[in-house]
Amino acid sequence: MSTIDYSVEERLVHGDRSLKQIDDAIVNPLDAKPNIKYILALGLTVTMLMIGAASLGWTFYKGIGVWGNNNPVGWAFDIVNFVFWIGIGHAGTLISAILFLFRQRWRNGIARFAEAMTIFAVMTALIFPIIHTGRPWVAAVYLLPYPNQHSVWVNFISPLLWDVFAVSTYFTVSFIFWYIGLIPDFATMRDRTTSKIKKVIFSVLSLGWRFSNRHWQHYEMLYLILAGLSTPLVLSVHTVVSFDFAVSVIPGWHTTIFPPYFVAGAIFSGFAMVQNALIVIRKIFEIEDLIPLKTLETMNKIILVTGTMVGYAYGMEFFIAWYSGNQLETFTFINRAFGPYAWAYWIMVSCNVLSPQFFWFKKLRTSIPFMFVIAVFVNVGMWFERFVIIVTSLSRDYLPSSWAYYRPTMFDFGLLIGSFGLFFTLVLLFAKNLPAISIAEIKSVSEGAQPSHHGESNHSANGTHGDGHNG
Amino acid sequence: MSTKQDNIKKTIELPVMKSGTSSSKNKFWKSLNFMENSNSKEVKKAINNEFSDGVTDDFNIDELEPSSRRKFLALMSASSAFAAVACTDYRDKGEIIPYNNKPEGVFPGIANYYASTYTENGRGWGLLVKTREGRPIKLEGNPDHPINQGKLNAVAQSSILGLYDPTRLQSPMKKSGEKFVKSNWDTVDSEIKSDLSSASSAGKEIVLLTNTLFSPTFSSVLNDFKTKYPTTKIVSYELFNENNKLEAWKSCYGNENLPIINLDKAKVILSLDCDFLATDGDEVENARMYASAKDVNNLESYSRLYSIEAAMSLTGQNADYRMRLTPELQYDLVLSLINAVIKKGINADSSVASKVSGYNLEKFVSENGLSEIATNQLVADLIHHKGSSIVLAGQTLTTEVHIAVNLLNDILGNSALYSKENSRVSYNSIANNNDLKSLVSMMNSGKVGVLLNLDTNPVYHFAKELNFENALKNVNTVVSISEFENETTKLSSYILPANNNLESWSDAKVRTGIFSLGQPIIAPLYDTRQKESILLTYISNEKYTNEIYHTYLMSHWETKVYASANVASDFKTFWLSCLHDGVLKTKEAVTSLGKLNSSSFVSSKNTLSKNGFTLILKPSHFIGDGRYANNGWLQELPHPVSKITWDNYAALAPKTAKKLGVDTFGQIEVSLGDKKVTLPVIIQPGNAEDTISVELGYGRTVVGEVGTNVGVNVNIFLSSNSSSNWILIGANAKLVEGAYKMASVQEHHALDEKSGMLDIKDLHLKREIIQESSVVEYKANPNVIRHHQSEVTSITSAVAYPGVKWAMAIDMNKCTGCATCTASCNVENNIPVVGKDQVSRGREMSWIRIDRYYAGTPEEPIASNQPILCQHCDNAPCENVCPVVATTHSADGLNQMAYNRCVGTRYCANNCPYKVRRYNFYDFRDNLLDGYYYKESVNLIHNPEVTVRSRGVMEKCTFCIQRISEERQHAREQGRAIKGSNVITACQEACPTSAIYFGDANDKDSVIAKLREHDLGYHVLAEINVKPNVTYLAKLRNVQTEGAHSEHH
Repeated sequence: MSTIDYSVEERLVHGDRSLKQIDDAIVNPLDAKPNIKYILALGLTVTMLMIGAASLGWTFYKGIGVWGNNNPVGWAFDIVNFVFWIGIGHAGTLISAILFLFRQRWRNGIARFAEAMTIFAVMTALIFPIIHTGRPWVAAVYLLPYPNQHSVWVNFISPLLWDVFAVSTYFTVSFIFWYIGLIPDFATMRDRTTSKIKKVIFSVLSLGWRFSNRHWQHYEMLYLILAGLSTPLVLSVHTVVSFDFAVSVIPGWHTTIFPPYFVAGAIFSGFAMVQNALIVIRKIFEIEDLIPLKTLETMNKIILVTGTMVGYAYGMEFFIAWYSGNQLETFTFINRAFGPYAWAYWIMVSCNVLSPQFFWFKKLRTSIPFMFVIAVFVNVGMWFERFVIIVTSLSRDYLPSSWAYYRPTMFDFGLLIGSFGLFFTLVLLFAKNLPAISIAEIKSVSEGAQPSHHGESNHSANGTHGDGHNG
Repeated sequence: MSTKQDNIKKTIELPVMKSGTSSSKNKFWKSLNFMENSNSKEVKKAINNEFSDGVTDDFNIDELEPSSRRKFLALMSASSAFAAVACTDYRDKGEIIPYNNKPEGVFPGIANYYASTYTENGRGWGLLVKTREGRPIKLEGNPDHPINQGKLNAVAQSSILGLYDPTRLQSPMKKSGEKFVKSNWDTVDSEIKSDLSSASSAGKEIVLLTNTLFSPTFSSVLNDFKTKYPTTKIVSYELFNENNKLEAWKSCYGNENLPIINLDKAKVILSLDCDFLATDGDEVENARMYASAKDVNNLESYSRLYSIEAAMSLTGQNADYRMRLTPELQYDLVLSLINAVIKKGINADSSVASKVSGYNLEKFVSENGLSEIATNQLVADLIHHKGSSIVLAGQTLTTEVHIAVNLLNDILGNSALYSKENSRVSYNSIANNNDLKSLVSMMNSGKVGVLLNLDTNPVYHFAKELNFENALKNVNTVVSISEFENETTKLSSYILPANNNLESWSDAKVRTGIFSLGQPIIAPLYDTRQKESILLTYISNEKYTNEIYHTYLMSHWETKVYASANVASDFKTFWLSCLHDGVLKTKEAVTSLGKLNSSSFVSSKNTLSKNGFTLILKPSHFIGDGRYANNGWLQELPHPVSKITWDNYAALAPKTAKKLGVDTFGQIEVSLGDKKVTLPVIIQPGNAEDTISVELGYGRTVVGEVGTNVGVNVNIFLSSNSSSNWILIGANAKLVEGAYKMASVQEHHALDEKSGMLDIKDLHLKREIIQESSVVEYKANPNVIRHHQSEVTSITSAVAYPGVKWAMAIDMNKCTGCATCTASCNVENNIPVVGKDQVSRGREMSWIRIDRYYAGTPEEPIASNQPILCQHCDNAPCENVCPVVATTHSADGLNQMAYNRCVGTRYCANNCPYKVRRYNFYDFRDNLLDGYYYKESVNLIHNPEVTVRSRGVMEKCTFCIQRISEERQHAREQGRAIKGSNVITACQEACPTSAIYFGDANDKDSVIAKLREHDLGYHVLAEINVKPNVTYLAKLRNVQTEGAHSEHH
């Protein structure tokens, strides 16, 4: 074993690129023509999106009946997908806001991308609360508190309404946060581009950014405030989503552990999704040095921690079900593990609790193929977690006479596939058109960005604009 | 600052200064023009005549200036009117014209009720038909009718759909080649008439095939027909009939007057394969009488029901003691019972005593696995309550069993329970197997010239071996008078469309001294005629008019009934009052019972012996003999025992299924001789081993689109050679690979499941959904149920209901689980039929359902039924979760739904602990059979007081809010307070046993308020503190030992 010098901070960006070279590495692929790999990938995701669109079209034409939902199981794939995608959307803001506040500078390379994923995941998720209703054409209006002559207001004690507010607030704040972060990069792209159209677009989007010191000051302040605003949202959104269940009277839903359990699960799945996507992106764009293995390893540690927290929650649910002495509660949990949906339960447990445990081993958590597979498992497991919570609880609740088994139809799968299609289509379009890594932020952690006593600076290599912000 | 103020002053002062300069006084003016001309004549005139011609109207838009205010306004209003019209989806749906001459007694929005009559296989019930603007929309029992006393069964309730069925025959048809062509009445009448005359003159038989005849007037028409065409022969048949019972009665008592049994006076009832609460005839009457002896406030006369049967029936589910026995052993059982009671000191002829001396009950019990405790109890009860106990044998059992039962009742003195007021009446006997065989041979030998099917379907109903289908080919003219296409019309030469019952005049007499009268409630919807009228036109040379049978009926009543009724009024008054009442009671002597002739008993022997599987053919609960196969409401009513819809099946005992290696929804091939049928299977807890029970009436091949190929036709097994047509020994069964999925409204998990950790046995008792006790326990401790109810403390204060608070109570002692409430609710509340596919996905729409649970062992289950509807909880969990406030609580305690506001999140349904909310997954009006409900005729069935729900909204029981509103309206009109007991919900109105109570919980003197405080009252899932408003009165099992369920408490 070689000795490690703990007195030196490990470098967050590898490769000795100059600041100009960083610009080139990030922006050049955006200007290049899309290669065949990209077109194939986009073709695949758009096909998936079209499958979803066709399923949705048929649902609109015929009714919710084309799905498998039945009388006790009023919610199934629709709400499972919603909660799943909202969960995915949690990593981005956590990375960009909370880790920013904690000065976790390894986040600089991945924050932009993770944040974009948040936006897209929330957009994907937002489709489901609308389309799961029987009459989406009125739901889109009635769910909003707008003044009307009928004097009908929304129901402020319904958790579904809290959802509307929580998710839309989250989306708005995340979007603004993301956009503010993009402004310096828009300016960089404005300055680099030779296309007149792009020039106009980037000029508008960069809001007249001139890399002046005053700009940077305002920017830093705003970024900090937005990070502060986003931080509670990361915790509150999934808490509110969990209230959809916790506020009900159904055994298996009516549980006080849900808010922390849901937030942990959301971060867990969000990190897994970001990790998956990053592995692909850094390979395609050949920026392995900007997003080094160390970053991925750190993410894997978070996956391990949150996965273990989720596992603890599963255990605690069972314990409380037994300890409460409530026979309905006890039955629900035994039914989850040993009832007709036991297969789903054990998929969930093995993917979410067991598979991250491999990350205890450094060798495994630094192996890219291995961590990729584990993260896929985590996402499968987290999708099943929502399925288990929603479907098994509903399928066997109070009156045994009303129990029924839920079976999804091809349209349910179509919409699930379509949601992945939408998400990855947006991710691909983003990666090809906007800087997936924050140019400004990555510079701040690259070699030589910090003031040094060695006199020499790499700044001179970058003639076009000022340096990254001072971390 | 100061400059600004100065400026303001200036601008204010300026006009004042100006007006001051023009005149010494302050004179106000409107415009410069006005000021200048204010003294002119035109102006003065204009002031006095503001609305003169040319000012307001009569202006020509073309003459106006292009930029004038009027032109602008005119153009703008015209264009917005155009835009508004263009944007609506208004389509011209024809003219809407108010009544020019309002029909007498018709007030738009107010229902009218007419008395009429419903008849079907031995049932002759009084109807009260609710009409709105001339449309019949609901059938209720006629409260004045002594037989059904205001109640109907589920079949009669739902039969109204038949009137509006879009597949009804609409005009006469004539066979031409292989196809039927539309014809007209004149053509078919003259052709049939000439066929009739030529057959009659050629000495060939004219056969009229009917069902049971109840109608004195129709019988008289048939007699007239016979006089006109002397070769006429009338053959009546029923798929299930009481011939065996009647045969036995004749040989015992020498007459055909089967008695009515006063079940309300019976202390002990022993039912042998007799489903008297559901399918064995007279169910409404039986259920009423049975339930009246299940009154928890009168425990002294609380009856005890024993049921010994092969296939689990509704009666068996309600029994206090139930035992399983294959039907071929029923004879031995009855003889053993006779022997047992004789040994205990009941007197009987020595010939009887010696006949039964070889039948030892103890031995029988131990050999056949009956419960020793229960049979000992039974014998003791029969003796102790002799004279007030009754033994009932099912109509499918053999004549010998019925004879033995008659004898047992006789020696116990139970004939005291035979009604002294009425007995049954029949106008012609039901054809037995020999009659049908001779009919077929006559047909085959070409001696039958014309065969008229009067609303019958022999091709479908007759036993296969009769080969009736083939015999039809040898009949010159086959005429079918029918409402619907069926298997027989397809093979007829003429199809004559018949009126629905609600379009017809009718009368019926099924009991001595009780005449029912039926009147048309609506003019025939199509070019149809009632069968009586058709026959009348063949008898006389009169031309058909709508009134032809009406006149005949009146004259028949005038000559026959009026004369015997012995009333003081003139006939017209008499007739109108009969028509109004729908029923006439006369004094008519009942033939005295006489002494039982025991010789037929002494010479009887068991004609059935165990051999292989015993195939038991049972009547369907809801689709009759198949005649209601096209009625979606009835196909979709869950079977009261198995909860299966849209199918029939072979019900097997758990052990028998295991032996055959088949599971629920597997398939078996049942064969008997050379007849074979593949049937889907359900495992029915409580069925006797080695029996296969199947219901008839399914597998119709020629019927409307709703009923085609629903289930399997098992009529082919009907035997014309066995001593019972319906109990067939020597059947074989073998497993057929592959599953057949049936649509069930309850999961069919194994009853006794306890696999590893998961224990779902008796959950309904553990969760106290069903709370039961026994009479003994309740007598000893009136708080036996109440002590289970723990007070739940709430952290919020309860909402006060100062005015009316609606509540319901259901007495589980009276509820038999017959599903009539569901049927009534379906009709009242416009509940759509969703089809088998949707039921199997768990999307049935019924607002009130009957849950069925089993406890005990799969072999000897203890069944519990429970009607579940919206509980209108005070703390309704559905309400707080709705994001758009579509479901709210009313000030009178109702949980309401605003369909217009509902966006269909289904959150309310998820959060309903009772799972009573129903969701419109599709536009169910459109989804069934490509727009079934959008067909014009089906549209007419809807109750106009109840919104028809659209796709994507939630719905549920409203406590019949439309009926509550009606009472509110009446109360307001009359300036009084709302009276809870004036509101009768549809389920309550229909319940044959009056087990449902409804009213104002705040009215302390009301029945409902008292029931809410009853010792036996409990709330389902009281522990979750949703405060439901449906109180269930716990069922008391009348078992002698500790409560059958006591071990669970």
